[in-house]
Amino acid sequence: MLLLKLAIRNIFRQRRRSLLTALSMSGGYVLCAISFSVSEGSYNNAIRFFTLDHTGHVQIHKGNYLRRPKLHKTIDDPAALSETLDNNDNIEHHTLRVFAPALAYSDTDNTQVNVIGVDPTREKRTSRLAKKVTSGNYISDKVNPDSYYSAMIGTGIATSLNISIGDELILISQGADGSVANDIYIVGAIVGNKDSLDKSSVFLPLDAAQEFLSMQGKIHEVAILLKDESKSREFAASLQKQLPELSIDPWQIVEETFYMTMQADQQGMQAMLFIIIFIVFIGVLNTILMSVLERTREFGVLKAIGTRPKTIVSLITLETALLSMMSFFVGLVFAIPIIAWFAFVGIELPEPVDFGGVQLRFFTGEISTYVFATPLAWIMFFALLVCIPAGIRAGRILPTQAMGSH
Amino acid sequence: MTPVITTRDICRYFGDDEDILVKAVDHVSIDIEPGEFTAVIGPSGSGKTTLLHLIGGLDNPTSGIVELSGTNIAQMSAAELSDFRRDHIGFIFQAYNLIPVLSAEENIEYIMLLQGIDAATRKQRVHNMLAQVGLDGLGRRRPNKLSGGQQQRVAIARAMASRPDIILADEPTANLDSRTGIALLDVMRELNEEHKMTFVFSTHDEKIMSRATRLIHMHDGEIEKDERK
Ligand SMILES: Nc1ncnc2c1ncn2[C@@H]1O[C@H](COP(=O)(O)OP(=O)(O)OP(=O)(O)O)[C@@H](O)[C@H]1O
Ligand SMILES: [Mg+2]
Repeated sequence: MLLLKLAIRNIFRQRRRSLLTALSMSGGYVLCAISFSVSEGSYNNAIRFFTLDHTGHVQIHKGNYLRRPKLHKTIDDPAALSETLDNNDNIEHHTLRVFAPALAYSDTDNTQVNVIGVDPTREKRTSRLAKKVTSGNYISDKVNPDSYYSAMIGTGIATSLNISIGDELILISQGADGSVANDIYIVGAIVGNKDSLDKSSVFLPLDAAQEFLSMQGKIHEVAILLKDESKSREFAASLQKQLPELSIDPWQIVEETFYMTMQADQQGMQAMLFIIIFIVFIGVLNTILMSVLERTREFGVLKAIGTRPKTIVSLITLETALLSMMSFFVGLVFAIPIIAWFAFVGIELPEPVDFGGVQLRFFTGEISTYVFATPLAWIMFFALLVCIPAGIRAGRILPTQAMGSH
Repeated sequence: MTPVITTRDICRYFGDDEDILVKAVDHVSIDIEPGEFTAVIGPSGSGKTTLLHLIGGLDNPTSGIVELSGTNIAQMSAAELSDFRRDHIGFIFQAYNLIPVLSAEENIEYIMLLQGIDAATRKQRVHNMLAQVGLDGLGRRRPNKLSGGQQQRVAIARAMASRPDIILADEPTANLDSRTGIALLDVMRELNEEHKMTFVFSTHDEKIMSRATRLIHMHDGEIEKDERK
């Protein structure tokens, strides 16, 4: 109590200096909190963007399909797997897919495409595919009256083959059994725009794709949407135990490049902010040392009349900690509205920035304990750190210095 | 009676080089008896402050032994010495040296707080001390709202309130005009007579020394003359 009283009064004794010191700490705090918020927010946005776009939170493959996709690396009993997944409480939805490269022909041109077979109903619930249809109708697993399946194509294919909705699309590839696969489809929809990742994709209903590739009843990939997106790693690990014969990976592995780039970027930013806070605290250190030096006689007196050196060090630490806490509250006053603005309004960039293959277009803020608490932890850490040299200095003050006449 | 303070052949030398060695205190042996009101006098640089530092446990002698109430302070650790000063010695400084952020009352209370004395006793003693040093009604003031003489009265009260064995005062009146200085000395003298409190103070002032019951004359670090009245 006594120390608290002394500490508070000492802080208010040098009002202007305390204010300047507190403001510099507040500034550091605000800067950090906003940077954390925007970086978290923007990345979470990007993560949400592509996990919902197509990746899902967790994926299932056979063996090392993820790294080296081969037509024959298939999940052979998707019906049973689907049932297991449907009964799992953590899962929102899941979808089944097959993939194969193919050549696409129109009457006049040809081009290389990626064939993606999807279960139309499940895919619609799991990914944004249905929403990406810019013209025409979303695929169905029914054939048209002429017994043709419909296909959805990316804009790149539409342009290079010079075809549009209602036109025929011929696909040629190799079936899983080594046979030549070829078939005719009717373009039912165009997907995405010219910048979209899907610009050279052909989406077929799962049955049609399996038939085309002679892999009836087999699939390459299951994409799972979880109810709690933050649990993807834990979920993948637990599902892996349940399904040891398959490979289960969270999005962090599936989108490794993006994830790594993001991590590196966040670490870079943290390192930079750490340095900024460090510089702020060189100033703080200077102030505290100055205030100890100025009070040499006072500390000498306190010691002479029986105050233990430890108590004096505690007093200095308490003063610094209190000042830091005040800075934190002042910082909050500024940080909260700015972060709230980023969280609820945000900035839309005129041109998207590419990060590890993902287009970041929105800068939005995140409001979380992490965003507010991490910079506070840093500030408290540095505040206590700068108390060490100040404390050593105060500890060295001799009580005889109390008697000096000035 | 056991003396409050005994110094046996103490020396305090500054500087380790033979040429610039300053013998601030040189082979001093004194006993301060309980209840004495002692003035240490002598020209500037004669070693008065250094002697008070040594007997107050603020500084260590180069050689010799200082015993406070029978305890050899050389054998104490820094922390023990700190507690010892808190419990057994009161200090009054030339420059008052009150804690600027604490009021007069809080300054008087400070050492008692360190001693862990309960609130009721503290209040009681603060009240009594303020009255005894003639500062009734000024307890709430911060030091910068008090005159030099008033501040030094608070300092006396602070030194007394913790009930030390001895009060050491290094030129307590040097910053005061002579009338205020004498009034202050009279306060100290009264407390000395009333409570049998032992005082050792240094001074240059003839009028002040005349109030002492014992005069220790110092010169070049040595005791030149030690007279009891
Ligand atoms: N820390 C120190 N380092 C070096 N020399 C010192 C130190 N303290 C005191 N001295 C020297 O010791 C001698 C005695 O000093 P001291 O302060 O005890 O004298 P004093 O009698 O109190 O003088 P004054 O009347 O001026 O206060 C002086 O020569 C002084 O210069
Ligand atoms: Mg002196």
